[in-house]
Amino acid sequence: MADLTIPAIDEPLLYAPRPYWGWVAARLFRPLLVRMCTAYLAVLVLIALFVPLLANGQPYTCVVPAAAGHAAVRQYPLFRDLSSIDWILLVVGAALAAQGIVIFTSRRLARPERMMLRRISFAIIAGITIIAGSLIAALHHNRLDATNYRSFARHGLITHAIFPPVPWGYAEMEPLSKGLINQLPSHRHWLGTDGDGRDELSRLLWGARIAMGVGFVSQIIALALGIIVGALTGYFGGVFDIVGMRLVEMVESIPTFFLILTFVAIYGRHILDIMVIIGVTGWTGYARLLRAEFFRIRNLDYVLAAQGSGMPLWRVLFKHMLPNGVTPVLVSAGFGMAGAVTIEASLSYLGVGVQPPTASWGSMLNSAGNPATVFRWWQALGPGMLIFITVLAFNLIAESLRDAIDPTTMGRR
Amino acid sequence: MTTYIIRRLLLMIPTLLGMTFMLFAVVRFAPGLTTGGGQFSAGIMQSRQAQKQEQEIMERRLHLVDKNGHPISLVMQYILWLKSTCEGHLGTSIVYQEPVLTLIEQRLPVTLTINAIAMAVIYLVSIPGGLITALNQGRLIDRGYGFLSLALYSLPVIWLGSTVLGFLANPQYFNWFPSAGLHSTNTGNMTFFRYIADYLYHIVLPIVCSVYGGFAFLSKQIRGSILENLQQDYVRTARAKGLPESTVLMRHVFRNSLLNLITLTGMSLPGLLSGSVIIEQIFSINGMGRLAYTSTLARDLPVIQDLALVGSVLTLLSYLAVDICYHLADPRVTYG
Repeated sequence: MADLTIPAIDEPLLYAPRPYWGWVAARLFRPLLVRMCTAYLAVLVLIALFVPLLANGQPYTCVVPAAAGHAAVRQYPLFRDLSSIDWILLVVGAALAAQGIVIFTSRRLARPERMMLRRISFAIIAGITIIAGSLIAALHHNRLDATNYRSFARHGLITHAIFPPVPWGYAEMEPLSKGLINQLPSHRHWLGTDGDGRDELSRLLWGARIAMGVGFVSQIIALALGIIVGALTGYFGGVFDIVGMRLVEMVESIPTFFLILTFVAIYGRHILDIMVIIGVTGWTGYARLLRAEFFRIRNLDYVLAAQGSGMPLWRVLFKHMLPNGVTPVLVSAGFGMAGAVTIEASLSYLGVGVQPPTASWGSMLNSAGNPATVFRWWQALGPGMLIFITVLAFNLIAESLRDAIDPTTMGRR
Repeated sequence: MTTYIIRRLLLMIPTLLGMTFMLFAVVRFAPGLTTGGGQFSAGIMQSRQAQKQEQEIMERRLHLVDKNGHPISLVMQYILWLKSTCEGHLGTSIVYQEPVLTLIEQRLPVTLTINAIAMAVIYLVSIPGGLITALNQGRLIDRGYGFLSLALYSLPVIWLGSTVLGFLANPQYFNWFPSAGLHSTNTGNMTFFRYIADYLYHIVLPIVCSVYGGFAFLSKQIRGSILENLQQDYVRTARAKGLPESTVLMRHVFRNSLLNLITLTGMSLPGLLSGSVIIEQIFSINGMGRLAYTSTLARDLPVIQDLALVGSVLTLLSYLAVDICYHLADPRVTYG
């Protein structure tokens, strides 16, 4: 029996080895434009998570002055009336922020300690988030408060009121009697009002939640489906491959928008429906890409070693093969996010997307008037620009990632 | 070649069966479909008798029951539906009360013509664009063109379309272009050339809106395949035997790169059909896309189902045509 032990390496390494993802990230974020796009999208995600605290008609806190029957009471109307979705997203946002702080403060530690710290904190924060989220979903009751706190504050019915930066809810209409519809930007409404007398800026901010939500959730669904089908077809080949690829072809052969319209016509237009519909119609590209990668990878030595050491199949597939084959899929997911934002906006523009009064950039474009007769271009400018910049940011990051992982551009840039 | 086509057709059969079954199932299990739901005469109070009759018609039309009123199994339902579809009996529109086939026959040429013109424009820009960027790889013009085409690709057509229409076809601002339709009202007494000019005048804005997003993808592909071909041995051979660089580029590299275009052309058909939904709705053109949209609003399920069916059969046929054309154009390609 030959000696199979690996001889120990005495001499120190000439260079510090860098993990693959760190190397990719360094190349990805080198261009200034990509850093700007990432910052923009990060801000958009934060807005999406925290928008009830940014644009809302209710004050964070106010004091109901003492009257004949009772003493002065401090109230928190905004927090009292948040819906369970709002609360869950706030918790998720706080968790993201906490994990971000951990990552940032631990950046100078040595690698093993750093990774350990991050993993532990991730587990704790994720646990707390999940528990808090399910508690909120189970116990919280949404309530509706139609009090006009701004008017109360003006007339002294409440005092010491602190309003959010944009003191308008997304569905709050100016009273028709005031005639404040289709206003130009003013001190009262910084970006004017729409045809129903609702604040444009508030609706733009709330629209970020719909856009980001549809983008992320639909692409997570699509990625999950695509990765499962792609991994199985690419790993097993044979019958799996034939069946899986026919499945991909079936979905691909139907023009996407027609398929989406079919589903929308039948299964409704709730925002969750839209997310799922975009997800289940958009996974085929990921499956194709991952299948090709797995074909390449499945006969490499480390996969054989993993199989030979008796690992369960899911571990071989998703722990060893997936990280090495997922990069093209990630590039494609960047374009997919852009596509999902566009599709959602288009559906809402056509009036078959999210239902009113939910604020979506697409439906805001639609409410800018019939372009052939009365076109209020200033109302179309905001949502149009936001869709454009968001989609462009996703596309630019995806393209930059493609260049970053492309071995043929290694020497350049 | 013949064997290849036959094998290709055989492989298409399971895809077709699965796709049709998917469309069948999606519509078959639509909530509220089997009850009839007053779809024929919504909103009108009916006698019980009439309601029952309506439900029976609906059930028979959907092949839910046989002639004697006995329920049919799901697989049989599908087979019956497929049989009648293959015989050319597509559904009947609930809104228009017309066979869907008639509706599609009126609208398909409209959509296909516009898409064909749009494709031509996209190629006219993208091929030179791809060539120039490939030859100036890494220079300013390459990066600028890349960024510009990506930005155009990201520009949402719902915004650009409505803005262009709002400014250039609106009595409020500039009333330069017609705002809707494909023809003026007085086409009857126009000469042929006048008619064509009128048509072109009407499709300027829709064409602009359907082409600008297409440059990025196509130019990038052409650029990539030219760069790849430049690395090939035959290029070195051609240069070594002293051919002028322009000949090397145009007669060798460029022509070989164009082969990829065949594939791309076929692949882009479903995207064009999808894109037509928004364009046709914005510019009020009565094509396939607008039909799909209005039937979605009206929940006219037979029309939606058959539109998706026709669209996907067209797509599969174009994939097949692509493979055959590729084979004809490049004899090196064999399908062993």
